[in-house]
Amino acid sequence: MADSTTLFAGLRDRNRLLETVVFAVTLALVAIFSLTVDGFAARGNLSVILSNSASLCILSCGMAVVIISRGLDLSIVAVMVAGATTYATCVQAGLGGGMALVVTALVITVVGAINAWLIAFAELPAMLATLASAMVVTGLFRFAILQGEFLILLQKSNPAVQILTSDILPGVPVTTVAMMAALAATWVLLNRTIAGEVIYAMGDNFLAARLSGLPVRPVTILIYVWAALMAMVAGLLVSSASGAVDFRTVTNGTLLFDVILVVVLGGIPLRGGRGGLRNIILGVALIAVLRNGMTLMNVTTQMQDVIKGVVLLIAVAVENFLNPRDIETDTVGDL
Amino acid sequence: MTQAMKPVPDGAMRRPVPAAAIDFARLPRQRVPRLVLSPRRILSDVLMRGWIESAIPFLAFLVVVLTILATTDGFFASSNLMTMAQYLPDGGIVVLALLIVVAAGGIDLSVGSNFAMTAFAALFAFHILELPVWAVLPVSVLIGALVGVLNGTLAGLLGCGALLTTLGTMITVRGLYTLASQSQLVAISSSARMDDTWDYIGFDRFAGLPVGFWAFALVAVTVFFMYRQSRFGWHLLAVGGNRKAARNGGIGVKRTVFMAYVLAGALVGLSGFLYAARQNSVGSDTGIGMEFFLLTALVLGLGGFTPGRGAVVSVIIGFLTIYFLNNAMINAGFRGDFVQFTQGMIILLILAIDVRFKKNLNRLVASSYLDPVARKPEPVQGTDALMPDRIVPKLAEAKILAAGKIDGPEDVILDSAGNLYCGTRDGRIMKLAAPDHREVTVLVKIGGRPLGLAFDADGALLTCVAGMGLVRVAMDGTHDLLTDQTTRSLFSVQDDTTIRMADDLDVAPDGVIYFSDATKRYDMENWAMDLLEGRPNGRLLSYDPKTGRTRTVCDNLLFPNGVCLAHDRRHLLVASTWDCSVLAFDLQNLKAGPRVLVSGLPGYPDNINRASDGGYWLALAGMRNPVIDLAMTHPGLRRRMTRRVPPTNWLFGNLNIGGVLKLDGTGRVRDAYWDRPDGPLYMITSMREHQGALYLGGVTNDKIGRLDLPGADPAWTGPGSYAGQGT
Repeated sequence: MADSTTLFAGLRDRNRLLETVVFAVTLALVAIFSLTVDGFAARGNLSVILSNSASLCILSCGMAVVIISRGLDLSIVAVMVAGATTYATCVQAGLGGGMALVVTALVITVVGAINAWLIAFAELPAMLATLASAMVVTGLFRFAILQGEFLILLQKSNPAVQILTSDILPGVPVTTVAMMAALAATWVLLNRTIAGEVIYAMGDNFLAARLSGLPVRPVTILIYVWAALMAMVAGLLVSSASGAVDFRTVTNGTLLFDVILVVVLGGIPLRGGRGGLRNIILGVALIAVLRNGMTLMNVTTQMQDVIKGVVLLIAVAVENFLNPRDIETDTVGDL
Repeated sequence: MTQAMKPVPDGAMRRPVPAAAIDFARLPRQRVPRLVLSPRRILSDVLMRGWIESAIPFLAFLVVVLTILATTDGFFASSNLMTMAQYLPDGGIVVLALLIVVAAGGIDLSVGSNFAMTAFAALFAFHILELPVWAVLPVSVLIGALVGVLNGTLAGLLGCGALLTTLGTMITVRGLYTLASQSQLVAISSSARMDDTWDYIGFDRFAGLPVGFWAFALVAVTVFFMYRQSRFGWHLLAVGGNRKAARNGGIGVKRTVFMAYVLAGALVGLSGFLYAARQNSVGSDTGIGMEFFLLTALVLGLGGFTPGRGAVVSVIIGFLTIYFLNNAMINAGFRGDFVQFTQGMIILLILAIDVRFKKNLNRLVASSYLDPVARKPEPVQGTDALMPDRIVPKLAEAKILAAGKIDGPEDVILDSAGNLYCGTRDGRIMKLAAPDHREVTVLVKIGGRPLGLAFDADGALLTCVAGMGLVRVAMDGTHDLLTDQTTRSLFSVQDDTTIRMADDLDVAPDGVIYFSDATKRYDMENWAMDLLEGRPNGRLLSYDPKTGRTRTVCDNLLFPNGVCLAHDRRHLLVASTWDCSVLAFDLQNLKAGPRVLVSGLPGYPDNINRASDGGYWLALAGMRNPVIDLAMTHPGLRRRMTRRVPPTNWLFGNLNIGGVLKLDGTGRVRDAYWDRPDGPLYMITSMREHQGALYLGGVTNDKIGRLDLPGADPAWTGPGSYAGQGT
């Protein structure tokens, strides 16, 4: 029942029309794939979808918070890889899983804080600051740790790695639990904390938030550290599953694009101030179903990219049609 | 002049004073500096120039070039430069394409994918379709423009978000490119087609430089002139600056943004064509990361995303900075990851400095603008017995005219019929009709701040309007601007042609109008800052109605204020307010410079006008006091004061009392007229004698005083005096 009321509320509220459309498209895709694609409706496929989309979902939790505050974090994938690299280095150096995690979290917190400092104190536009910091982070970690290589291996036999790929309960892998935990934490942050209120206020009108005395600078630090930590968690899950940290994830840009796609398709506008957990779940659901279905249909990666690009263009156009914006009242930097 | 004067009894006016002539040759010379050189002033003037916005990118470029020169050998050798010139158009043209979109208020992330796509299209057209080379270029440009059409339709015509739209096209086009190039790669690389033109474009040189470089130079010049000269360029900048204003100004906003994307796409197509001709192949990584690399270059040049700014030169400088940096580091053998790291750090550093610099530029200008200098005023002399505490306040007997009906009559003047005219703070010239001056009407509304007044030979009113210039007002209420600029002084950082604070004027026998521009550095509202600065910022100008030319007669005067043609019609008297002196110029020999007619006045002289007995009336706008005189010798004190103390608490001259001094024909102070300390006539800036009465105006007052002068010539009028009928 909750779903149907949401649906009707969506029809009444123009702001939530896109969500409704995306929800309907997702349901339709599920129906079509179930009927036409072999193995989509199979029992095992659900858990595959869940575990495959976990890292995307966790990254989106970080990105969504940033975008709701009217920021943008283009360094999220770089930070994700940097976190995994740090963890791998610590594990190779013989540290235990817990200790390695603490060290990694510290390093990543510093990276996130530097991002936030550039934005809140040096007052660079978020897009440029994180673009440049992505360059710096990637360059630094490849130079200092990988000695110029693309890959760093994680021995799957190492207990510190094994624990990340194991099941907590029978049939419930760490990955799924981490995704749920990330979603829950995001919900708490956005809905149950003062920082959450400030995040929405910043997204709504940054200058008004600052003038009314809200702690925009500390919250900016919180936001970017949050995004960095989410990226770290996602990075640990991905690399422990594949047994390697691959820096090409950063350079080919597909993952970053997917994360932005999730957030935007979910209905969180880039201008911030709106959206919540529901939007993240919606966006992830659509992309996860799309990815899974296309992979099962043996669509090539390039073709998948084309389709995702077209989906984004359609979504942008539909959103603009449903919810036209007044470009004349846009301020400088509203892109 | 230094001799002590005996108290002059009230009514000394009754004895006519013989009209003594000014003995110019025996007056002491007034030193006028040829050049005011001050490091702080140069700094503040430089900071106010428009090009200072690009200072940080330019400095960063210089630092990078110098560092490369110092640390490498042969980077700027001709062979390496030639190689770099060959590869320059790849990014160089595309960064200009980005500039077109960003200046119109958008962003284009699809340039990298589009670049690869158009390069592939060129190769496909050349090798597979075997089109002639002249047909390959349009194919490539058209494909690029097509992507631009897609971007422009969504982001321009429909008004979708530019970032997401171009992100979508970036991914889509990249996917299509990969699919297409993978299917055709073997066919293209095994094609044996050779063509001289194709190779000429790719490898050859024209006039010593690669063909591609010339294409880049051509695009750069075209875009530069597009922003400067063309209607479309102006529309782009207007749309980027403020869409609402642009639409209200009649510009098709959506169409303009659409065209910006299409143009950018076409330029990317040109760049892709040049790349294809040179490389003769494409790879899976062609154009990957290009959009972000060029975006940083663009932002480095512009100092952030600043829509509405078509700074082609700045952007090219930003691009060259990154390009050189990148090349030098790779040439030096650094690994790619280290280059990436260093580049990111350098970009962050430059951007952070630039953002800070731009944010604080105004503050920097404000704190360095006031540039005080030590000035030792000549001690008060010759007027001890005439000070307000020594003689009767004669102005207490003055009648008050038009109280509350006029606001700030800086100067007053009467025509031969006895009508009184004065300027007001809201930019009007008021007429107070003869004979009782009760009826106040508006003669004309000029705007600005009308100050000094004079009649020309035709009976029209000439007025100096602060903020505008010299204005001629006919008696039917029409007015026209005679001049608002003079020749530029030779060594000035800021353009000082504009007349900033035209103050007072008089007309010479040959019709030339001499008028003072009190200060070149402050506006009417801030004239008081000029005293605290104490520098010779003013100048005496002349305007010849016959030729229409304005000349600077004498630059670097210390707040030249009142101007009056002497009775002998040969000398010009100019009151120097902050110097508390009156200067004299010889009209037949202006080059000789000014001489000091009277100095050491007890107050700040404002306007000076003729008196019926062959002497002059001199208005004192305010009085000196020992504290401000002392402060004038301490520039650091005044600078700190203006920065740390609110303006209401600044040390200043006493403007609550003012008066009129009576000078004789040789400039000696003969008498003084003061109001009571609490009287209504304070800060007197002007007075005119007319038929035995003295009319008094004050720049901050709302009334005019009229004082009967017993013993003065009851038939004497100002216009009559100038026409030669009077003394």
